[in-house]
Amino acid sequence: MAVGDLAHGPIRTVGTIAATVTVTALLLLTVALLVEARGVLGVRFFLDPPSRVAELGGVGPALTGSLWLTFLVTLFAVPVGVGTAVYLTDYAPPNRTARVLGSVLANLAGVPSIVYGMAGLALFARGLGLGPSILAGALTLSALAIPMIVANCRNALDAVPDEIRWAAFSLGATRWQVVCHQVLPAAAPGIVAGCCTALLRVVGAAAPLLILGAVSFTTFAPGSPTDPLTALPTQIFAWAARPQEGFLALAAGASVGLLLLMALMHLVLYALRRSQWGESR
Amino acid sequence: MKTSELSPGATGLRSPGEGFGKHALLICALLSAALAASVIGVVGLEAVRFLAQVPPSRFFGEFTWAPLAEEAGFGVLPLLVGTAQIASGATFLALPVGVLTAVFLQYYAGGRSAFFLNGALTMLSSVPAVVYGYFALNFVTPAIRNIWPGVQGFNGISACLVVGLMILPTIAVLSRDALAAVPRSLLEEGVALGATRARVLLRVVTPAASLGILGAVVLAMARAAGETMIVTLAAGNPTGPTWNPLDGVRTLTTFLAQESMGDIPAGTIGYGACFAVAAVLFLLTYTMHALGRALVSRGYPGSSGTVRQ
Repeated sequence: MAVGDLAHGPIRTVGTIAATVTVTALLLLTVALLVEARGVLGVRFFLDPPSRVAELGGVGPALTGSLWLTFLVTLFAVPVGVGTAVYLTDYAPPNRTARVLGSVLANLAGVPSIVYGMAGLALFARGLGLGPSILAGALTLSALAIPMIVANCRNALDAVPDEIRWAAFSLGATRWQVVCHQVLPAAAPGIVAGCCTALLRVVGAAAPLLILGAVSFTTFAPGSPTDPLTALPTQIFAWAARPQEGFLALAAGASVGLLLLMALMHLVLYALRRSQWGESR
Repeated sequence: MKTSELSPGATGLRSPGEGFGKHALLICALLSAALAASVIGVVGLEAVRFLAQVPPSRFFGEFTWAPLAEEAGFGVLPLLVGTAQIASGATFLALPVGVLTAVFLQYYAGGRSAFFLNGALTMLSSVPAVVYGYFALNFVTPAIRNIWPGVQGFNGISACLVVGLMILPTIAVLSRDALAAVPRSLLEEGVALGATRARVLLRVVTPAASLGILGAVVLAMARAAGETMIVTLAAGNPTGPTWNPLDGVRTLTTFLAQESMGDIPAGTIGYGACFAVAAVLFLLTYTMHALGRALVSRGYPGSSGTVRQ
């Protein structure tokens, strides 16, 4: 919003330049990927397994692996993360333990994914003997996702005015009724957006899966959580580091697929926010 | 005030699901706590085991890092230096662009340009790191070498540029929040006193938002320090420590990514070394994140200090 008298001047010029740089960088990234990927994008690419011959390669197994991971992480991390956030904002007694848990989780959201990869290797792949399986990957990514989901959902829950809670309590509602009928509906758009953002970040993470030992050359798609771990980000990594032009196109193609998915999800979230669902609450 | 403080729990009100809900939420919180404790515990435990074999004086005092070499070096300093190079380089590049983008967004952007700029920042913040890494290695590095042929194929400049791009949305969005928290009356008073437009922004708004912006920068730097895939792909993993950013750079994270692909057996000195490096990385980013959050919440009173990811 322009503040009347501030609308012109040198700061406006440099600000505009900075904003242009930001948008240009995104355009460059998108165009570079699209140009490189122009030859590979097609239905076949998203179904076929990787191949020694670049022209025949596809992301079928990796895509299946990523869908498995998304499904399992949603199953594990979303209920626990949202539940923890609700507990911390509306249920926890105002004592030291709750404060420490809240602040440790908030700071864990800033710990890089590769550290979770190391912890997952020791805890799940070796400790529980799961090896480099889809399940070990899903548990590791869940550990990475939960602090992020808790942080995002606490923001959404804190944004619900306390007056709403007080009004409901004063009408005789119990705590569970206040949470279910007032707080959660009011915070729902923020909770959904917060969970989706965290899931996107986690599903795009390559580093922890590399540590666990994800495979990037497998001819069959994982059919159960105990099958070998393979996923889109690690597949992109394996192709991106190869010098042959053909494999670079494959990496770019898989990247374009991932970016399209993210853009689509953000559009849906935006539409949700703009719709009555976001407005009326 | 939290509602739990004026709890009517004592009134003994019951409703269907009351007990179930309370216990289910408590179990969720306990699961989160257990997960946090196991992550911290396992990394800490393995690191302590390593430090029992290799004294801390060697870990923090030596200048070579080659835990698997015949003539092993266990000094973590070169890796820390690499991480500091990447994090400070990226922040140096992203800081001016990010803060000025925030100023533009807060004070100048109209409805349509704000829409596109916000959209661009959202997309930039959700591009997976490995995609950024691909962009750095196969687009940015060739572009730099076109202009400046002396640059190596794996180099720190390309990594810094693209990590800077990755942390740009963090700086821009959090700085914009800090600017938005400056009371409008302050601006109006400045203008009413006859200050020029630029002067109001530089002398009134910037100092008032400075803590929040500093917090944004610290949080962004923590992300840059933990970035793995971009640096692994763009800066390689040279064996020796390097001081020249035109060459490759080796950081805490790239060491972990590179070594882990060799599948080190548990219990060996290399395995312990990986966890010791992970623990250093954990402590570094955890502390920076805590500091950044504290600054951000000081920056605009009334906010919870939790950070939108």
